[in-house]
Amino acid sequence: MVKNKRNAGLADRVNLKRKTEGVNKKLNPFEVHINKEKIKILGRKSKHDRGLPGVSRAKAIQKRKETLGKEMKLMNKSNAFIDKRIGENNNQLSAEERIIARYAAERAGPQSKKNIYNLADDEIWTHRGQTLEQIEKFDDPRSSDEEDEDGKKFGGLDDDFVSEGHFGGGTLPKTEFKDGTKSHKDLVEQLIAESKKRKAEKQEEKEKILDLTEKLDSEWKDLQPVVFKKARVEEKKESIIDKLLSQAEKKNEDYDKMMRELKFEKRGTPSDGLKSSEKEAKEEKERLEKLEKERDMRMLDDGETLLSKSKPSTPKHRSADDLDDNFELDDEQQFMLAYDKDGKPLVPEKVLKDYSVPNAKPKFNDGISDTSSDDEASNSDQDDEENDNDGEDSREVDMEQKKESSDESETNSEGSTNEKEKVKSKFDKDLESQYQKYKNDMENKISERLDSDIKQNNQQRSDDKTNDKVCSSDDSENDEDDDGESIKSVNNDDTDDFKDLKESEEESDNDTDEEVDKQKISSFFEFELAEGDNLKELLTGKTPSQQSAALQRLIKSYDPGLAENNKELLSRLFAHMLQYINDIFTDLKDEGEIIKAFLIFDKLAPYFYDLAQTNKVSTKKYIVELLKEKHNIYVKRKKRVPDLDTLIFFKLVSLLYPTSDYRHPVTTPSLMFMSEILAHCKFNCPYSISRGLFITSLVLEYTVLSKRLVPTAVNFIRGILYLCANVSILNPIEVVPPFRLHRDAKLLNLEEDCSKMEVLNKMAAKDLALNEIDNDFKIRCLNTSVDILKEFFDYFNELEAQKCLFDPHVALMGRIDLDLYPKKVASKIAGTIKYMKEIFEVKTFTPLTSEKKQIKMLRLYEPDIKEVFTSSKSSKSSSENAERAWLQTKYKKEMKGALREIRRDKAYIASVKIKQKLQSDKVRKDKVKQIYKEASIQQGELNKLKRMK
Amino acid sequence: MAAVHPNLIKMVSAQLRNKANEFLNSRKHANNLADILQMFEASTDNYTPLLLTIEVIFTELLRRGDLIEEIVPLKPIEQSPEAEYTRWLRECYETALNQALECIKRGRMNSRLQALVTVSKLLQAEGKNPLESSTGFYFPSGRLKNIFTVLLDSEQSMSAPIARFQEFTEYRDVQQYGLKVLSSLAYRKSPSPIFMQNYLELLDKLLVTEIPTEAKSKNRNRNHDEKEEKILCGSDDKAPFPYNPGVCRRYANRCWSFACQWALCSDARTHRRALLLLVERLMPLLTRPHLATDMLCDSLDAGGSISILALQGVLELVRHHNVSYPDMYDRLYALFEPEMFHTRCKRRLLHLADVFLSSTHLPESLVAAFAKRLSRLALVADDADAAALLQLVANLLQRHPPLKRMICHEDTPAIMSSDPYVMEETSARSARALGSSLWEVSALRRHHRPHVARAAAHVLHAHRPAPAAPTAAAPPAAHADDALFDAELKKRFKTIEMNFIRPQGMNAPSGERLLQFWELMA
Repeated sequence: MVKNKRNAGLADRVNLKRKTEGVNKKLNPFEVHINKEKIKILGRKSKHDRGLPGVSRAKAIQKRKETLGKEMKLMNKSNAFIDKRIGENNNQLSAEERIIARYAAERAGPQSKKNIYNLADDEIWTHRGQTLEQIEKFDDPRSSDEEDEDGKKFGGLDDDFVSEGHFGGGTLPKTEFKDGTKSHKDLVEQLIAESKKRKAEKQEEKEKILDLTEKLDSEWKDLQPVVFKKARVEEKKESIIDKLLSQAEKKNEDYDKMMRELKFEKRGTPSDGLKSSEKEAKEEKERLEKLEKERDMRMLDDGETLLSKSKPSTPKHRSADDLDDNFELDDEQQFMLAYDKDGKPLVPEKVLKDYSVPNAKPKFNDGISDTSSDDEASNSDQDDEENDNDGEDSREVDMEQKKESSDESETNSEGSTNEKEKVKSKFDKDLESQYQKYKNDMENKISERLDSDIKQNNQQRSDDKTNDKVCSSDDSENDEDDDGESIKSVNNDDTDDFKDLKESEEESDNDTDEEVDKQKISSFFEFELAEGDNLKELLTGKTPSQQSAALQRLIKSYDPGLAENNKELLSRLFAHMLQYINDIFTDLKDEGEIIKAFLIFDKLAPYFYDLAQTNKVSTKKYIVELLKEKHNIYVKRKKRVPDLDTLIFFKLVSLLYPTSDYRHPVTTPSLMFMSEILAHCKFNCPYSISRGLFITSLVLEYTVLSKRLVPTAVNFIRGILYLCANVSILNPIEVVPPFRLHRDAKLLNLEEDCSKMEVLNKMAAKDLALNEIDNDFKIRCLNTSVDILKEFFDYFNELEAQKCLFDPHVALMGRIDLDLYPKKVASKIAGTIKYMKEIFEVKTFTPLTSEKKQIKMLRLYEPDIKEVFTSSKSSKSSSENAERAWLQTKYKKEMKGALREIRRDKAYIASVKIKQKLQSDKVRKDKVKQIYKEASIQQGELNKLKRMK
Repeated sequence: MAAVHPNLIKMVSAQLRNKANEFLNSRKHANNLADILQMFEASTDNYTPLLLTIEVIFTELLRRGDLIEEIVPLKPIEQSPEAEYTRWLRECYETALNQALECIKRGRMNSRLQALVTVSKLLQAEGKNPLESSTGFYFPSGRLKNIFTVLLDSEQSMSAPIARFQEFTEYRDVQQYGLKVLSSLAYRKSPSPIFMQNYLELLDKLLVTEIPTEAKSKNRNRNHDEKEEKILCGSDDKAPFPYNPGVCRRYANRCWSFACQWALCSDARTHRRALLLLVERLMPLLTRPHLATDMLCDSLDAGGSISILALQGVLELVRHHNVSYPDMYDRLYALFEPEMFHTRCKRRLLHLADVFLSSTHLPESLVAAFAKRLSRLALVADDADAAALLQLVANLLQRHPPLKRMICHEDTPAIMSSDPYVMEETSARSARALGSSLWEVSALRRHHRPHVARAAAHVLHAHRPAPAAPTAAAPPAAHADDALFDAELKKRFKTIEMNFIRPQGMNAPSGERLLQFWELMA
């Protein structure tokens, strides 16, 4: 309906009035029009079954008359009279009631306010239930006076201005403009400028006051001692004694001053607090654990690591409704590869990392470059320790050096034991709480392996330590005990040899050739070609510990921190040391030489480590070159086991590099080399068998952490057992190359009764120089190989293949006549057989299953769930669409209705107009008639006159 | 002697060269030749300078045609000094040849080889410039026969000279005439094993160049012209050599048939050599290869490399000659023993097994037994062999999908108390391998060699739809070990990890084992 807003309420009111009047009216049956229904629908309420056309038309016309009609009346009229008196338009109120209402309104009208614009003037502000006035304590006197100084609020605008400047009052100039040029805008600007200026002035003033206060304060402070002193001085002047005293005091003053200065002087730049030994130990432990973890990671195959990486350790989230169907939803966002105008891919950085550019070369992180590299740092503790010692003892190096290595080990091991004890005691205290207990367990478990390693170390070293302590105090006599119990247990023939060594050691304690050494060291690297000879000169003719000392001095004097190219020099030294080791291990004929070589190696090995640490890349290169050379020599005679000058380097490699890595530039080739030797060489003489066992125990050492399978080593043990066993031709047990059936059989078989014989339970250096197989050798070979076998066996306890791998070993061991062997050995072998058989007994074979691959679920659409099912079309569409459709139909309906209304309005207007026209015509006609009447009357009178004439 | 006086040798050879030059330049120095020939009588072990000298002299003489005796039929032998001289030269030539042949048997190896080369070179020269003028193609088969008689010595192994002779057998005419000569020499009742060896080796060398069979020769005709075949005695002005593959084949057959009558199988080496020859060279040439079946079947039982070679022969027969052999797979199965690592033919065996087991019509149980046995072997094998064996197992698993259950058991796995597979069972089919799993392979994942561990992992993932078809089991190359070692050394690493605990001596900070078993410092 097109209505004027003004009249909207009016129409309703008219309607209402009519209704109230006509409710009771009875329907005239002739006025009722009934709409016929074509189809009757059950349950539908029809509103339009009957109607009163006459009534409704009349209503509509009436409505229009009151609305449109009034408007028409007022059309083209400029003035309108609107009665706004209260209740005047309400025709339900009587005149008296209207008067009362007006009066009430007047009384209730706007309350008297001082300032109508500051609406919240009289509200009380609170903060946490307290009024601000209560809270305010005016801590800062400077800030408090900022606002209320002149009692003006709201930026100092006064009532007048507000009433004038704000709220449109500006257009009607109440105040007279003197010049008439200032507009409202200018006014405001002026005002702002003024207020700013005022503010700045106030600020300045405040600062000035503040400065003055501070100045005063400081002056007062300066004045203070004067004021007090004056009093005192006056006092002192009274006596001469006091004067003297003051003089003395003056002298003392210097002392005091000095003392105070010293007292308050900075004693050092603050740095990380000195760590307590406990803390240090803890950190060390953490570091070691971290390194171990890294090592374990490296032990895994690349593929395995990938797998373990891709598989999250814990599922992100498992809903309670998870059916455990293990669907893997791929939530990976698809991204579109696009480039910006600089040619950089517009892809999140994370994604870029994953899809790294293929031909970008991986950076060769060699870890040599600078001393601040991580690896260096990781080992810095040990180095530091060393260096500290050196710094302090530099003058007494000669004295100290002998002990130093042992000292170091002492401190190290002591540290570790301390740490352990502390940890334990600490946890004992806390044991009452369950949580701590649990934690303790965990920690112990973690450190178990570490501790065991260290313990082992300590045990082996403990003898040395104690002896060294004694020897430092009691001088040289105890030196003979240096090698501890080992020497005592060994056969007496050996000791003679050793006494020589020891004695020479003693003699050289007061060595005069230190000086000579120093000279040699200082000129060590002068000629590149002579370096090797220099080293040989430096080291030959000395006892192992002297050699170690000399080498240490040499390395220290070329510390990489001292000069630029020292690093390179040291790496060259590494090569020469390799050569030296090679030299001392070549052509060893008798036992004494072998032992001496090993003793030297034992002393020199740590320096190899130090040198390798300082220059990883080049030392690795040297070792690899060496391996290659040795391999080439070996390949020429594949059936012959290489001598100790090759084998010793396998040991060196295992000392320097982690043998457990899945792939390592040095350890992998050397393990390959060893396995190759075991696979191809002929083992039929003491020379080869002893070296074979040497290699096998090294293989064991290489694989002790990673528990890798080295078939050739296992086969070698099998071959040795075969040689030991009493095999018959009729019922053979298979052996694997390089051993062959019926060849060399019973080579190590014990034929005489040796059950009374005393044998060592280890292989010895003399075996490496043995020419003839004797019973002792046979027994020890068997003993050692059974020991090694047991270790290998334990590697594979959880594998099913263990049985088929070690079955022949058990069978072969069963063929050994244990009665002939010494009781200890026999019982051990029997125990091993029993142990292995027991393991076989309980072994279970689980068929291999592949890991269930999680099925990737397809991405699904949003489920189409309807709250109420209706078959109608409209309800199928979404709520938005339905609403839109509904609105559209409504709009259509309304449009239609509006058009109809407009039509009707038009019709009404037309009817009104025609009525007006008719009326005006009628008036005109009447007037014309009137005129005619008058004219005819006039005519008649005229005619009458004429006739009268 | 030669080693002691190297200068003397130089002097002697310089002297000889001078003499030879003088002799060739003028007849005045004719006696030089006699002197040179005289020197063969001296007892020495190095005839090389002498041999070179006579080679130079007679090659030159043959080229000049000085040796050609003009014999006019029905005329008395000419008595002119010219003819006399020619006759003398011919005599010298014959003696020189005989001496050279003698030298093949005597002295140092270098000199022996040189003698053979000299004789062969002279043979070539004579072939190019025949002693009797003829127009057609001439090959001095008599000379060749002499050479062969020497090579087929009964007491002395001639394998080195025979191997050297290979450079001449590559010539087509040598091959054809050689086969002919050899077949004429072959008839012996019961030759010594050495003779047989030499014979077989020579035959082997004669067959180095492939003799085209009929089917192939048709194809070959087209590109015949493009490929110039090597002729030893051919020259441009003579008729071309009529090479006839058919004739070659016939003679080869004849040679073999003689050899068949000998006791080839009595000595292992001869046996192996004969089988190698048969399998490698002769099989396609034989007219009736199935006659060899008996020999092959007998050899199958011999074990070791002989069995492997025999198996290859049998495979050939089965594949191309319609021979059926009942328990061939069990034979093959029996060959897979730890012993096989000894044999030189292990690569051949692996290849054979790969071919044998590529048939898709094999019972699962049989293939499963093979897979199981191969993986058992891989467990004790050398590193390179292990990789090859694993490759073979992977191929088996890919070709025979039912074997999948050996690496991933679908049903709920029942835990067994022992391995159902019976290693000792000789029949592959009844070894009950299908109920077993390849635990050995999973153990090999812990192999110390990364590439073996990888191969094992590859086998365990074989059931997954692999992108690559089964690759031919790449047998480890002869020097695989060394190559792998070098490759390992050359590998680049991002970082060089080191132990993180400084060793205090020979004792490793953790996991010391050497000193646990060895008392080295006391």
